[in-house]
Amino acid sequence: MVFPTIEFAAFFVVVLFLNWLLMPHPKAWRPFILAASYVFYGWLDWRWVLLLVGSSLVNFASAWVIGHAPSARARKQALVAGIVFDLGLLCTFKYLNFFVSSVDDSLNTVGLGSPIPLSQVVLPIGISFFTFQGISYIVDVYRGETKAAPLVEVAMLQAFFPHLVAGPIVRANELLPQLRSPRDPRTVLAGPGLFLIAGGLLKKTVVADELARRIVDPVWADPSAHSGLEVLTAIYAFAAQIYCDFSGYTDMAIGLALLLGFQLPQNFDRPYLATSLRVFWHRWHMTLSRWLRDYLYIPLGGNRKGRRRTYANLMVTMLLGGLWHGAAWTFVIWGGIHGGALSAERALRERFGAERMDRIPVWFKWFVTFQVVCLAWVFFRSPDLGIAFEMLGQIGAGGPSPLVTPVIVLLVVGTVVMQATPRDWWRRAETWFIARPGWAQGLALGLLVVAADAAVGQQGVAPFIYYRF
Amino acid sequence: MDEHGRDRDLTMPAGRVLIVVVIALVVAAVLNSEAAVRAGEGMKPGPTRDIVLSVARPLDDVTGAIGLHEPRKGLDLAFGQESKTASGTELEKGSTAILRRRARQRAQSFPQPTRRRPLTVLVTGDSEAQFVGEQLIELAPKGLIDVDVVPRNGTGLTNPSFFNWEVNARDEIRDRKPDAVVMVIGGNDGFNLDVDGVAQAPGSTKWETEYARRAAVVMRVLADHGRRPVYWVPPPTARDEVYNRIYAVQNSAIERAAPAAPGARYVDVYSTINKGRYSDELRIGGRRVLARQPDGVHFTREGAVVPARLILRAMSRDYPALAGP
Repeated sequence: MVFPTIEFAAFFVVVLFLNWLLMPHPKAWRPFILAASYVFYGWLDWRWVLLLVGSSLVNFASAWVIGHAPSARARKQALVAGIVFDLGLLCTFKYLNFFVSSVDDSLNTVGLGSPIPLSQVVLPIGISFFTFQGISYIVDVYRGETKAAPLVEVAMLQAFFPHLVAGPIVRANELLPQLRSPRDPRTVLAGPGLFLIAGGLLKKTVVADELARRIVDPVWADPSAHSGLEVLTAIYAFAAQIYCDFSGYTDMAIGLALLLGFQLPQNFDRPYLATSLRVFWHRWHMTLSRWLRDYLYIPLGGNRKGRRRTYANLMVTMLLGGLWHGAAWTFVIWGGIHGGALSAERALRERFGAERMDRIPVWFKWFVTFQVVCLAWVFFRSPDLGIAFEMLGQIGAGGPSPLVTPVIVLLVVGTVVMQATPRDWWRRAETWFIARPGWAQGLALGLLVVAADAAVGQQGVAPFIYYRF
Repeated sequence: MDEHGRDRDLTMPAGRVLIVVVIALVVAAVLNSEAAVRAGEGMKPGPTRDIVLSVARPLDDVTGAIGLHEPRKGLDLAFGQESKTASGTELEKGSTAILRRRARQRAQSFPQPTRRRPLTVLVTGDSEAQFVGEQLIELAPKGLIDVDVVPRNGTGLTNPSFFNWEVNARDEIRDRKPDAVVMVIGGNDGFNLDVDGVAQAPGSTKWETEYARRAAVVMRVLADHGRRPVYWVPPPTARDEVYNRIYAVQNSAIERAAPAAPGARYVDVYSTINKGRYSDELRIGGRRVLARQPDGVHFTREGAVVPARLILRAMSRDYPALAGP
């Protein structure tokens, strides 16, 4: 099920009602919310639910053994088995074809035909998210940061529908305590909840889809047919599109969870105002960066094993972060640019000292950071390396630029400028909104839904970019 | 989000949240009833579609009668959206005599592309048009062709109350004025067609004739009395045998419709690719390539090279310069 659809609206009203009705009765509420999450997930293909249930069963079993095994060896074996299963699941669905066709190409070059058929594996939506969540859970149990939970809780942790498909990636100690104690129906955080849902909807429909339709997709389809100004604007427009698309989705996810009484972690915090790559990664897809830091970078040694090893760890973490998005060289280069830039930033800081680096004007640091991020987006968006280099090569080209309209410039600049609005403004707006009568709140939100639907028009809402991952 | 836990002035009781959400959805449904009907029309047949339409249609009748369509129309105007549905079009109801009006089989000639004036091509249709259009750009001689790819996902000829291709074709031709059109469509058309008030199942003779008629109507709008060529690409073979049979009928309908519209050309990707046998993979440039997406219908980006080559070959009959050296 996709958030901004008629089906989801009807589904959510029923779930919202029953959620609060059953909340005081955990024995009824837990199976209900789990079943609702499975209905949400299985709406497109019920077989995906079996996969999700299987993943929960294995992660539950792995954590149970870790929590109850008498020896350290047995605990470690259970951990490794759980991780191998989760990664195996991810690799089978996400990387098998890439692997088979690479083997096939290699065999072809030496004149040997491959007997392996290219497989037609459907990538289940959200698999990257729920497998990472499963790994996070069993590692946390192994580290003693959380206790092995009952099966129904593990299943809810992975399947809770607001975050199931595209995050945020939630850690066990963030969600399990909330699932265990009934939420207070008198104090639902409706201010931020409704604002996040409304804001996410507008980000997606008015900004992301508009930019995609009017400039990003046409330019990326044929870079050589466009002027340098159009190509450059399309690159910045994609930066705005992916931010509004992905953060719009997670805003809606967090907002929906709030209306149900649950708090999910923040996933974006004004990333395009970052004045360094390090800060950018503290603000962009925050739950994935946190996952990569806690379960990859630090176990690799982090910055504790010398300078060279630190750079290598940064690079490996970002390259694998790139590959997490898919098996393609474009994602590898995207990760490589970020890994290289993070390493370079660290090297400069070590070479010149924090004090001298801090003397560089903030606007300059912001500008350089934003350009590096946008350069990396070129590879992320391109279907292959040829198109990516064609985009970059076309930047200097002349010619008319009919696609660069005031609306496009306004949407791109507005996306960055909106991130600079003081937090207090939003809070004040939420407080003001909450104080209005219920009918006025409903009317305002209803009008906003109509406006969002008018913005996308008859072509409908485009699929969220991160559904592919 | 921890700070929110302390924010009492941002909270409401759950009951009131539910009321606000319900009011919002009722307001949206009332002011957006036309869009709700269209969304329902665009759904696959099944209980969800039936429920949505059984609620949305009567609601739309009432809201239309009391003028509640106007706010949405104003917003559409503000966002520059054009309606892609209309009543009384030839696509919905017309005579099959159109199929008997055979275009004269004379050689047509079109202005040839040059580097100074490249050929402007509109690649449109349903979602299949996306990768096919992108590969056409890759394959075509650089500098001689300028391609716009405009897919209209989920659309077809069988459901004009959801998306009317006659209306859209007219809009596209007026706005873009392309030299040539590539129409890649048909994957969403496996539904009943209304012929003289009777629903005809896909694949029947009457269904095929009606489908050919509708295609001819759109071809004529796109080709504009033979002023530009229209390369019509019906679906390729499908993995699913039921769809495969329907697609075969659609291909035969398009083959029948093309001669009735001056400028229209049928591009056969059904019987030519892999000799009409469905296969997930194809050998392209000596490499085995996964050519079809998991749905067993759409081409992958790599696989779309094959239909793009066939389209380019058809185009080069009208534009020899596109055949390459």
